[in-house]
Amino acid sequence: MSEFDVIVVGAGPAGASAAIRLASNKVNVLLVDRADPPGSKNVSGGVLWGDSLSQVIPDWEKSNMLERYVEAKGVTFLTKDSKISIDFRSKKFGEYKSGYTVLRTKFDAWLAKKAKDAGAMVVSGVTVDKLAMKDGKVIGVEQSGETITSDSVILAEGANSRVAYDSGIKKKPEDQKIALGVKEVIKLPEKTITERFGLTSPKMGFASEYVLGFLDGGVKAGGFLYTNRESISIGAVISMGDLRKNNQTYSFNVIEQFKDHPFIAPLIQDGRVEEYSAHLVPEGGMSVDSVYGNGYMIAGDTAGLTFSNGLVLQGMNYAVVSGILAADSFMERKSKGGDMNFENYQKNLENTFVLRDMNNFRGLDQVTWSESIHSTIPAIAEDAMLNIFSENGNPKKHLSQIVISSALKQKDKRKDLAVDLYRMLRRM
Amino acid sequence: MIKIEDRLSLLNYKIDKSYEHITINPSICETCPDHFCTFACPAKCYTLIDEKLNFKYEDCVECGTCDTACSHGSVAWTNTKGGHGVKYKFG
Amino acid sequence: MIKMALEIIVMIKQVPDSSEVVIDPVTFTLNRGAARNVINPADENAVEQALKIKDANNDTHITVITMGPPFAESALLDCMAKGVDRGILVTDRAFAGADTYPTGLTLAATITKIGKFDIIFAGEESTDSSTGHVGPGVAEFLGIEQASYTSNSWVEDGKVFAERQLEDGVETVKMEPPCLITVLTNSNIPRNATLRMKIDAMKRGIETWTLADINLKPEWVGLKGSPTIVKSMKSIQEKKRAGKKFTPDQMDEFVDELISKGILKFGGD
Repeated sequence: MSEFDVIVVGAGPAGASAAIRLASNKVNVLLVDRADPPGSKNVSGGVLWGDSLSQVIPDWEKSNMLERYVEAKGVTFLTKDSKISIDFRSKKFGEYKSGYTVLRTKFDAWLAKKAKDAGAMVVSGVTVDKLAMKDGKVIGVEQSGETITSDSVILAEGANSRVAYDSGIKKKPEDQKIALGVKEVIKLPEKTITERFGLTSPKMGFASEYVLGFLDGGVKAGGFLYTNRESISIGAVISMGDLRKNNQTYSFNVIEQFKDHPFIAPLIQDGRVEEYSAHLVPEGGMSVDSVYGNGYMIAGDTAGLTFSNGLVLQGMNYAVVSGILAADSFMERKSKGGDMNFENYQKNLENTFVLRDMNNFRGLDQVTWSESIHSTIPAIAEDAMLNIFSENGNPKKHLSQIVISSALKQKDKRKDLAVDLYRMLRRM
Repeated sequence: MIKIEDRLSLLNYKIDKSYEHITINPSICETCPDHFCTFACPAKCYTLIDEKLNFKYEDCVECGTCDTACSHGSVAWTNTKGGHGVKYKFG
Repeated sequence: MIKMALEIIVMIKQVPDSSEVVIDPVTFTLNRGAARNVINPADENAVEQALKIKDANNDTHITVITMGPPFAESALLDCMAKGVDRGILVTDRAFAGADTYPTGLTLAATITKIGKFDIIFAGEESTDSSTGHVGPGVAEFLGIEQASYTSNSWVEDGKVFAERQLEDGVETVKMEPPCLITVLTNSNIPRNATLRMKIDAMKRGIETWTLADINLKPEWVGLKGSPTIVKSMKSIQEKKRAGKKFTPDQMDEFVDELISKGILKFGGD
């Protein structure tokens, strides 16, 4: 007889959602987080997209742990001198769910509290060493030489997956499977933020991703800027392979270059940096051979369930869904008499957008981090825009002529661009 | 540009005086051709002083970057224990 | 050496994490609201000191007590997870606004209610008020011997020994139990709780006592029982200091500057 039905390792959106789901269904669950208070080592850019959380917390949108509702979504290319962006705002974001900006330390502590209220035992400030195995089956977790037993374990410890590595169920990431996110939280008055980003109310927010095509030494990084109630979350996601190739740019300076860009600096002007943080970001889809095994399931970042295609950067919504599915898969098995090999979890994931997104966009990371996205396309666009919008005394040309002539200036990149465009189109 | 030292000074750490959660193997670092860790680590825990690699675990934000960054097997990375280490206010 | 079974009581307090308490840039007052609560650092050292004595003396039983709001439960559970046997939270609306006098009285009454004890441990002072009153106050209320500002303590042949860190050296005192010891911040390295012990502590849970449990009158506790009256509070505003740089080859000018400002004077004239 195990001490717990389920032990969940990691109190982030995946782990907490799993624990809430299980505890609400009278499952005896232990949620363990190595930070104290739970969640205080968790970092993300900070938009929780979609409405998945309503499956475990129906009234989650009423929580005062949410910062702002995204009513303005941007996608922006930055070159050294220019900014080319789509700034999409729609009243329809009321019915088509966008997302909320969140600050994770506060938000995740709230999620852990919800798990506790639902009946889970929540333990923080203690680090699980590895999965406890017996006869090829996971029978609980090991901590300080002791085994705490459970019928199954849900592993949701994040991108830096030490328990998974030390238990031999995940390999350490190659450069192309991981990026480094660095972030700052910059304090600004609520009113300033609302006005500066042209938002319709203090409850409404702006979120944009950036392609940073201007960094020293050609380092490739994406940027993000999200508005919270009284602060701005700004950061850079840096390609590990690229940083290594470059080997002269300090990761912690990339975000400063982003902040100093002539069209970013005014947005954070007079703001005071309140916090600096860094975190690994899984790239390019699933990062484990299998999301399940005998007696365990892997959820959230640990499984590599994040998505970035240059237009959006998502992870928390996948974490929530995978956590809930792991919980449901356990209950499904338990009700059918106890086989704890969770291929049903894999199937359940396949039936939702989580693994569909991963499969549909497999290989897109090659494009996301390509020369085309980071330099060729922005250069063509910049040149074309300058031609379209400036008056140089010459007769006006058709738009297509302008774009073609701008593109021809980049002709040595032509072949790469064609390959990347083909890759992109194939996945749309 | 804000210096990294000033940014790190904003952070709250509960430092574990009895356990260094990351250790390096100086003999490997001595012959390292790239010292990529010094560029990769976002908390500037790895620095070169007189050509010699210097590592301090106290400023670590526990991202795990150095473990991936070091391709020479010098970094031994473990989680902090007992709630020690970085304690974010916002995350 | 005779090892004896001991009854130890540790008094702790939950305080705002001092590294998170920020100074309001407008009013210059401490903004504690932004900070999360932690166990007062010196109290963690007091708990560790008690546990060390328990390690060395079989059958030692430790009770940790705190006077505070209901959420102080987590601080008691943390101590229990490290090896403390019993946790008591003394909480009552009547305690609100207490200064160090009724706080000491309340804790002393709690200890009296607990009954037999050999050693009481407390942190030297709390980071949120830094008076250092409460520990010694409790000893006075209970009429027992005390040793403050200690870095180590142990029990030998039924006597309690404590090392007090003084300005000019270390003083080792020998006391008859029952006695009270206050422990210096950073005098030891608090141990980590294991997952097994954390689970166990949660299952055991804490006891909650109120004013009615400790035989004190409402007018003796809280704000009503507090003799301290805060007349006003002033924040110290940082003075802008003038600065001037000199290079090593400007030594003459540097000395002239010091003389002109009256900082440097020549005697004998």
